[in-house]
Amino acid sequence: MITTIASQQSQLLRRQHVTLVGLATMLAVTAMAGILGWSSHHTIVRVFDEAVRLQAAAGQPAPANPFLLKPNLSLLSNMVVYIPLIGSLLALVVGHLALVEDQGQATGRLLFTRQVTRSQYVLGKILACTRFLAVTMAACALVSVAALVVVNRALSASDVGRLAGFYVLSWAYLTVFALVGMLTALLARRRSLALLSAMGVWLVITFVVPQFTSGLRPTQSLNPLTEPVGTSQAFFRATQRAQPLSIVEQYKTVSGTILGTAPNPTTGDTLLAIVPIVSAAILLTLLVLWKVQHHDYARSVTDE
Amino acid sequence: MSESSTRILQVARHEYRAALRSRALTVLLVILVTATAVSVFVSATDYASQLAEYDAYRAAAQAQGLTRIAPSPLAVLSLLRGAFEYMEIIGAIIAITLGYLSVSRERTNRTLPLLRSRPLTGTELATGSFLGALGIFTTLIAATAAVGVVALGTIGHDWISPPQTLRLTLACVAALLYLSAFYCLGAIATAKVKVPANGLLIALGIWLLVVLILPQIGDTLDADNQLPGGLFQALGLNHDGEVAVLTHFTGYERVRTGIEEASLAKHFERFAFAMSDVKERYRPYGLPWLLNETRNDIGWLLAYATVLFLGLRRTLTRQQPIPTGGIS
Repeated sequence: MITTIASQQSQLLRRQHVTLVGLATMLAVTAMAGILGWSSHHTIVRVFDEAVRLQAAAGQPAPANPFLLKPNLSLLSNMVVYIPLIGSLLALVVGHLALVEDQGQATGRLLFTRQVTRSQYVLGKILACTRFLAVTMAACALVSVAALVVVNRALSASDVGRLAGFYVLSWAYLTVFALVGMLTALLARRRSLALLSAMGVWLVITFVVPQFTSGLRPTQSLNPLTEPVGTSQAFFRATQRAQPLSIVEQYKTVSGTILGTAPNPTTGDTLLAIVPIVSAAILLTLLVLWKVQHHDYARSVTDE
Repeated sequence: MSESSTRILQVARHEYRAALRSRALTVLLVILVTATAVSVFVSATDYASQLAEYDAYRAAAQAQGLTRIAPSPLAVLSLLRGAFEYMEIIGAIIAITLGYLSVSRERTNRTLPLLRSRPLTGTELATGSFLGALGIFTTLIAATAAVGVVALGTIGHDWISPPQTLRLTLACVAALLYLSAFYCLGAIATAKVKVPANGLLIALGIWLLVVLILPQIGDTLDADNQLPGGLFQALGLNHDGEVAVLTHFTGYERVRTGIEEASLAKHFERFAFAMSDVKERYRPYGLPWLLNETRNDIGWLLAYATVLFLGLRRTLTRQQPIPTGGIS
């Protein structure tokens, strides 16, 4: 029954063109990250050539090659920004639509006259959303491989493994937001309130919490290269303890480690940083399962 | 007062009161105010300790009879940077939400046919709604600025001077133009589609592009941003070397600047940062110089707000009084 509901939901997402629009958006974003990575590569080469010429004219030794400072997969560093910005908003909308449509069109009432439990219903919806996100991430991985081969001319087996790890992590991160979209759809009676509450959660996780725990200003979250911020104040000494709960920071830290663009911590530290993301996904799944049992499908959701 | 003005003011009052009753808006307002308050609190606390250090240095220098004392490098208004950044991101979402609610409320409650049955033209409806929204934004911006200024004075121990108050007021006016443009966007997108929630999604998609993606691309393409700590520093180049290298990148820089210019958020940010001393290069100059330097940003802000208001007026004038959407 779970797979039947999942198939029906996947079909609905296709009919609403969500699958096409979502996939096209994420592929365009991945291609853009590749182009930006290529542009960055090209700019560094040109700046390096000019710097060598300038230093030679001044009788100074040539500077060190900056590519020695830049790891292979740094080409994709923009994806670490785009997944929490664009990918998570897409996941929110997919999760929101998965539940809100049945409430708005009152099909939920009809559905529960059949031999289907509420747990099966919601697990089927979750399966459809996570499957869609997995397919999207797999397609993005293929575009990333193509971008890396074009720019770096080669791709080692280790790099492919790291890339796969990064997209699995991204899938887990996006699942959290699909579940947030579902939970707010069950909590709010108005469709717009459900969507805006989900966006409120997204804003808090993406921009507000990192400022509280690490002193990162909102616009600093948009740049893949973030300068360290002074957090010596008593305020940050207190809030830094909550840093492990800031899932966007944990996602960026683990992504940097996997892609090799951040300092390499131990495997234990990396696994520990993944725990909050996985815990959030499990907790939200339980909350959605609990909330759906008590949801009144006799009252349809309104649009204001 | 003419009858038309009275009708416009009535619509504006209705818009203002209805917005205050919305729970969605309240949730977003609470997030904005809390984030801004904490951001200013943290900056002001840090500033207070830096100011105390500078005062101690000045007192020691004066006690030793030194005549040349280094001026303070601190800029109190720059502590409001976080507030402006939150206004840029969350404020724009609030404005879109208000625009969305303004149209969807009349449709869902089926009050649009009632409104249009009165001698109320589309232009009067658009102007009244727009003025009501401006009233909400003015309240929001004034409250945020007041909280910021009081926090700077009481926690940072530095009250802003009259010239600084004038510059802050101008930055607030820019915020008003910025939010009004997004309000019009939200209302137009909602009025144009059959299911209002889809209009909200479209407007949020445009917000994502204009507020987050375009500035992000512009920042990422900055030549110096290619390596942690700066590419030019990694290559051992000083400022003169950097300038010499960048002369070979005029075309590239033009493209990068063009991408940033397409973003309304970037124009608001540049103007607000110039007015609030966030960028060090602007600090030595007076208001006339700053206004001249940022005239391009002022022009873009005015142009966006005007064009989108005209678009809203056109959309509402052409809107059918019979609702085409409803429960979805």
